[in-house]
Amino acid sequence: MKKLAFVLVAAAILNTACTKKDSTGTSASAGATSSTNSKLSNAELKIGISQEFENFNPLISTMMATTYMSRMSIRTLDSINADGKWIPVLAKEIPTFENKKAVIKKIGGKDHVVAVWEILDNAMWGDGTPLTCADFEFASKVAASPNVSVADKETYSQVEKIEADPKNPKKCTFTYDKVRWDFYMLGTFFPLPKHLEEPIFKKYGSIKEGYEKNSLYTKDPTNPGLYHGAYLVSEIQLGDHVTFTPNPKFYGEAAKIKKIIVKLIPNTGTLEANLRSGTIDLISTMGLALDQALAFDKKIKEEKLGYEVLFQPSTVYEHIDLNLDNPFLKDVKVRKALLYAINKDDLVNALFEGKQLPALHLVTPKDAWYTDDPAKITIYKYNKREADRLLDEAGWKMGADGYRMKDGKKLSFTIMTTAGNKTRELVQVYLQNQWKQVGIEVSAKNEPARVFFGETTKKRKFDSMALFAWVSSPESSPKVTLHSSKIPSAKNGYSGQNQMGWVNKNVDDLTTKLEAELDPAKRIKMVHEILKYYTDEVPVLPLYYRSDVAVIPTQMKNYRLTGHQFPETNEVEKWTLE
Amino acid sequence: MTTYILRRIIQTLVLLVVLSYLCFNLMTLMPGDPVELMISSNPKITAEDVARLREFYGLDQPTYVRYQRWVSTILEGDLGFSRTYRIPVSEMLGPSLKYTFILSMSSLFLSLLIAIPLGIYCALRPNSKFDYIVNLLSFAGISAPSFWLGIVLIIIFSVKLGWLPAGGYQTTGMVYENIFSEILDKAKYLILPVLSLSIQSIGRFSRFARSAMLEVMRNDYIRTARAKGLTERVVIWRHGFRNALIPLITIVTLSLSSVFSGALITETFFAYPGAGRLIYTSIIGNDFNVAMVAFIISIAMVLVMSLIADLLYGVADPRISYE
Repeated sequence: MKKLAFVLVAAAILNTACTKKDSTGTSASAGATSSTNSKLSNAELKIGISQEFENFNPLISTMMATTYMSRMSIRTLDSINADGKWIPVLAKEIPTFENKKAVIKKIGGKDHVVAVWEILDNAMWGDGTPLTCADFEFASKVAASPNVSVADKETYSQVEKIEADPKNPKKCTFTYDKVRWDFYMLGTFFPLPKHLEEPIFKKYGSIKEGYEKNSLYTKDPTNPGLYHGAYLVSEIQLGDHVTFTPNPKFYGEAAKIKKIIVKLIPNTGTLEANLRSGTIDLISTMGLALDQALAFDKKIKEEKLGYEVLFQPSTVYEHIDLNLDNPFLKDVKVRKALLYAINKDDLVNALFEGKQLPALHLVTPKDAWYTDDPAKITIYKYNKREADRLLDEAGWKMGADGYRMKDGKKLSFTIMTTAGNKTRELVQVYLQNQWKQVGIEVSAKNEPARVFFGETTKKRKFDSMALFAWVSSPESSPKVTLHSSKIPSAKNGYSGQNQMGWVNKNVDDLTTKLEAELDPAKRIKMVHEILKYYTDEVPVLPLYYRSDVAVIPTQMKNYRLTGHQFPETNEVEKWTLE
Repeated sequence: MTTYILRRIIQTLVLLVVLSYLCFNLMTLMPGDPVELMISSNPKITAEDVARLREFYGLDQPTYVRYQRWVSTILEGDLGFSRTYRIPVSEMLGPSLKYTFILSMSSLFLSLLIAIPLGIYCALRPNSKFDYIVNLLSFAGISAPSFWLGIVLIIIFSVKLGWLPAGGYQTTGMVYENIFSEILDKAKYLILPVLSLSIQSIGRFSRFARSAMLEVMRNDYIRTARAKGLTERVVIWRHGFRNALIPLITIVTLSLSSVFSGALITETFFAYPGAGRLIYTSIIGNDFNVAMVAFIISIAMVLVMSLIADLLYGVADPRISYE
């Protein structure tokens, strides 16, 4: 025992010596004390996440966990709220054609959308510098640089020019590259603090990755001038935790919780133990898998624990892409039979206790474009008899072994998905059993996610079926997944997402026209037409819409899950534990 | 001796270059480069974006060109930029290596402190009750999977008893009144991961120590030493233990070579921000720069430690020469 104590104390001394210099803590964290295992209050909230996070530079960060956290500190002109509506955030109002803040102008012989965005008068960076049009213009300039690795440049390049009103630096005129109805969707168009970052960009912008390496987000990430949201980043320990403290210069209502710590716990199996032992107080949407959440929900009720599990339908669409080059799947009757043979209501009840909704098509119920009207789309209710009839019609006759045959070939498919994903593996088994009942043989072949997404689906190397999910946002164009030009190939650098290989000229036309249609009612009509083709031709087997899950303490108020890509941290200032 | 060391250092350097090139090639063979991973997470990325990003990261170049570029930046003292974390590799890898070193060394010291005396004691009393019990516990320790051990320790000591934290390396946000409170706090966080790692190594080391000592104690020179009238203490430590050191040196130096490689499962279970987890994430995320630096460190440690082991053999047994 003495030896054990000696070793641990010696190690801790070494640990203390080593970690002292690593901490980037500022005075903001000083004076606070830990409340592990203590009663919850607005003094501190510890959130557990299971995904890694990165540098907070909003132009170059791509990880979901970073987005989750950075929304506490960095906001955009507008965003989608928990009700799925676009709302102004840094802007006073969203420009529209109706309120005359957006117009179509002919410039250089070409039509462009010109919109006026006015930034809130009291919006400022954490060091007190006003947030102005110049910060958006500077962000655009950085994003346009060939030496900066911005993944999605179009968000920034869609705005060709940003001009500030000479009398009001917060009144910005955005000139867009073309006429587009979604010009106001600037939820990922972030400003950069020009007063701090411009000298760095001037010095290092001409060197490849020079800006990223020397940006203050990398070199001095706790500088208050880098943030303008409800909280400032007061400490970052990559791979471990980030600490946030209220931003005294925040333009909105003052944050109630005095310190928020987001802690990385990479093993989802230990998140519950960490919660129950007081290491964390809340499990974010990037924590428990649905099966873990369902199990914990039961424990909470049985043991009367002071937590609540929240389930929120999300914009994540779980489905099976069919490879339409497969000779058996070329026949629409076979595709329809596959869909009729799935009892989706039973599937979601049996596997998810009804906490996830059966899917009808690619548009999720949170989206204004959603429809479940049988007059507009084809709905496939579980009907084994209809599945049998369609297969018989297609010439697939039931054999003595219980499987269908045609021209000496068995009706057989391979369903592929990500190995190790327990939920998907359960779904696979469930589907295999359902299809077996109509005489279809389906074998499972799973691969690690990086092989499955990096090679198999990307290069359409799956033989017949690929089970995975799409993450979308409300009212996002389906062109990338449905247009025939988006069928991944070596020619387009495998950048498209039409992995089914679906070619429908009408859908091509509609998805192209949709992007330029300014009338919202007409857009909805067009989307419904697309969905009609989608559900009629069945290039994809819709399964279910996933739900986001989070575990919160029962005393927590104003915590609303959104279910889309703009997380609940967009309204972090409203959260309270008292 | 000097010639031998110089020759081994040159061999080590050559091996490092060859193995690093092999690792680099193996990494490029894995499906999904950083751009492909971006495409799968962002459907908005266009064909133009793909071409631009490939060129930006140099992924459009042949492997040997990319390797040359990587070596030249390393030689300039720049470890590169992490594609996953978007910060310089040195800033990220440094702290992780330190945490891993602390965890691994603590576990190694604890294991040796317990296992070697246990093994020797068992060897001196073979087939005794004590020997049987230690054997049983050793095999149990070796057989217990670390993920199971980790979760059991967390459930007992964190959830049920509430004595120890379930994960982390210090109480987040804690302000320490003095150095002792800091040491105590950090020690608290080390107990479970160190125990989890040590339970397995104690079993392994004690088995090695027992068999090495048992083998030595059967030799004629031990009988001769006893016949000369030497005390049992001198027989055991000067004549027995010193000769049993050779296999122990091998296993200890090999264990030392992995002190920077991390313990992936333990670090993941206990949310410990060590290098094991970082290396795994960088390989999965195709973060070439981080993964390559980590590979080099691991390879270098194995090579250096085997050199040290070879030198220590000579210290333990003067009959071994380096001509």
